[in-house]
Amino acid sequence: MEAYLSVLTFALISVVSVCGIYVLTGLTGMFSLGQAAFMAIGAYISGMLVVRLNMPFALAAIIAVAGSMLIGFIVGLPTVRLRRDYISLVTLGFGEAITALLNQSVQVTGGAMGFSGIPQKTNFTLVVVSVIVSVALVGFLKVSKYGRQCIALKSDELAAKAMGINVPRMKMIAFLISVGMTAYSGVLYAFYTTYVDPSMFGWRKSAEWVIMVFFGGVNSLTGSIVATLILSALPEMLRFASEYRMFFYSVLVLLIINFKPSGLFGEFELSPSHISKLFKRGHKNGAVNVAASGKDQ
Amino acid sequence: MLLQVEKISKSFGGVQALVDFSLSMKDPTIIGIIGPNGAGKTTLFNVISGVYPPDDGGKIHVNGQDVCGKDQFLITRAGIARTFQNIRLFKGLSVLENVMCAFDPTSKYGIVGGLLPTSRRIKEEKLGRQLSEHYLDLVELTKYRDEKPENLAYGLQRRLEIARALACKPKVLLLDEPAAGLNPREVSDLMGLIKKLNEDLGIGILVIEHRLELVMGLSKQIYVLDFGHTIAVGSPCEIKTNPEVIRAYLGEEECVR
Repeated sequence: MEAYLSVLTFALISVVSVCGIYVLTGLTGMFSLGQAAFMAIGAYISGMLVVRLNMPFALAAIIAVAGSMLIGFIVGLPTVRLRRDYISLVTLGFGEAITALLNQSVQVTGGAMGFSGIPQKTNFTLVVVSVIVSVALVGFLKVSKYGRQCIALKSDELAAKAMGINVPRMKMIAFLISVGMTAYSGVLYAFYTTYVDPSMFGWRKSAEWVIMVFFGGVNSLTGSIVATLILSALPEMLRFASEYRMFFYSVLVLLIINFKPSGLFGEFELSPSHISKLFKRGHKNGAVNVAASGKDQ
Repeated sequence: MLLQVEKISKSFGGVQALVDFSLSMKDPTIIGIIGPNGAGKTTLFNVISGVYPPDDGGKIHVNGQDVCGKDQFLITRAGIARTFQNIRLFKGLSVLENVMCAFDPTSKYGIVGGLLPTSRRIKEEKLGRQLSEHYLDLVELTKYRDEKPENLAYGLQRRLEIARALACKPKVLLLDEPAAGLNPREVSDLMGLIKKLNEDLGIGILVIEHRLELVMGLSKQIYVLDFGHTIAVGSPCEIKTNPEVIRAYLGEEECVR
């Protein structure tokens, strides 16, 4: 039971970061291959503030998120005016630089040995509340003017500019929201495991998040969340198959991307009206119904 | 003065796409721009709307405001809106959302309203939706409001582009071949619409078009471009009889068809 709860907690922490990735990749069409570095920054800043300076957890969390966003602003500044693919290069370089820096500064961060002794402050309730809040914020964002403008610039940047959309500013907003959420998930992570080391936050982690968004459907927040839960839990569930589990994982991802390029859910979004329908029809029918309406046109 | 363009040029490497073009529109009228393919018509629109800056020495004023070399979105906010020759609607947004998008940059709520349904956001969203519905109504697309734009027929997509441009609340609207690919009936509907925009909404219109019945029927004044040079300016009657124009444009048109 304990083990399952822990798998679920890690999956839910990933949901928080994937919400941020959804804003960046799903809504705005930008790819970041260094997003995990912001998770590291969030984790290390908050961890060190609490351990070294005895700061209260909540304050440390706020400073960590704000600090990451400030760094994100500096990283984003030169790239938002360029073509969208440049941001993946810049963030990749930035992400690898951050992990290298964490590895090198042994005295401050503990280097490759990791940084331990962080008190456990994250519990299941806090994670669930964080997930609900993140999902709600991104859900609201998607149907706001920001969401529309992000989707517009993803679809056609030139036309978006011609409609008066300040494209660099919009990209920056999406990037910063994404950075903030990823950093916050880093805070949750550090205070759950009580130990962080730089190897967890390489580009593989960032790539994994992008895969999750595409697996679930790049145009569907619901899809991204479901995909995150499935793909984070899957390697743990497949533990009995030991070495083959990554093989199964990869095959599943390839199958979905090949046979359903728009992802599991296409453009489907679960809305409150769907949920009430689901309860009326009973669980089994409802689930089938959701899957059916999830198919794209 | 709604729009004043003075001596703008644009060259790409060694090719002079546009040479010393000048135009002024005092009151909202309809000005037609014609010329053979490659004459620099779309380049002119791209320069006016800020896709790329003109070469040094030119002047572009919109509604008294100098916009030369400014960012595209600022030029749009100064009062220039446009449609595209190759339709560029936003996939992933519904027909209504496509129009709302053009209103969104001026919508007055901040990032807090973006993340939470504040009362201000609800009010502004309602306003944007009403305005967009109004423009959809104007181009008679109301019944398609929840469709995806890529599912609409070609003629309807062209009209949606016009509705979207109107939501930018332009002083001057640039229409780049709005009748391309339309059947004769749709062309006459479109002419009615353009006239209505000009007369009822008081929007100045620059229109590039190969369909002469549209240009001749609507324009008060016509500019003829050939290889980037302005070879004639005048009323439709004057243009029809101008020997230079017949040589460069109408003659060539005969050969092509």
